[in-house]
Amino acid sequence: MKTMGKDTIAGAPPRRAGSANPLGSNSEIGRKLKQYYDELVSDDVPDRFAQLLSQLENSEPAQKKD
Amino acid sequence: MSVSPRFKTDLLGSIPSLRAFAVSLTQNSDKADDLVQETLVKAWDKHESFQPGTNLKAWLFTILRNEFYSQMRKRGREVQDSEGIMTSRLAVHPAQHGQLDLKDFRGALEQLPEDQREAIILIGASGFSYEEAAEICGCAVGTIKSRVSRARTKLQDILKISGEDEYGPDAISSQVMGSSAA
Repeated sequence: MKTMGKDTIAGAPPRRAGSANPLGSNSEIGRKLKQYYDELVSDDVPDRFAQLLSQLENSEPAQKKD
Repeated sequence: MSVSPRFKTDLLGSIPSLRAFAVSLTQNSDKADDLVQETLVKAWDKHESFQPGTNLKAWLFTILRNEFYSQMRKRGREVQDSEGIMTSRLAVHPAQHGQLDLKDFRGALEQLPEDQREAIILIGASGFSYEEAAEICGCAVGTIKSRVSRARTKLQDILKISGEDEYGPDAISSQVMGSSAA
């Protein structure tokens, strides 16, 4: 008796592709957005930033050094 | 309290993301780097207000964004209007053969209002959740959602991509169809 419901498992309709995430990999805009951004992120970082942080580090007031 | 070495290392590690976000906002790499520099100095000065264990990237993006808008206000918007926005506007043309050129995409992105551009970048590229993006922009989650949606519609419009949800990866046929059903 309780085996009756077995074939209902396959009853769920498949989700429509692309509707879940409008900026996902199925979307041309989504793909381009990531390509645009990844290119910016992978750009070489100029030395000035590491130098800046070192300067900030060195110019810290030595008040708490004990 | 002095700045911990860990904080400094984490700052260094977030520079590539900060620069990408800054370029997205300013559309100008020199201005972007100045903005990142300001952000790092500010972050360093107020490092004590950062709570370890929370999202440093989101904290830094918030600082950068605030700095960008306060500079914009000071300069009366010449920040982006003085740059080649008009020329890039002319340079945008419809994608061909379903292959959207990155240059065209960049040009289209430039045409978005800042609030829409930053929203779609934060959500679609920087990997923030809607909640995080709302916090960074100091607005409601629903506002971010509607900005992203408007940005996406506008980009599709500018780039002449129609109903891409329907076509998925098979964008070629939608280009061939041209002005098919809205």
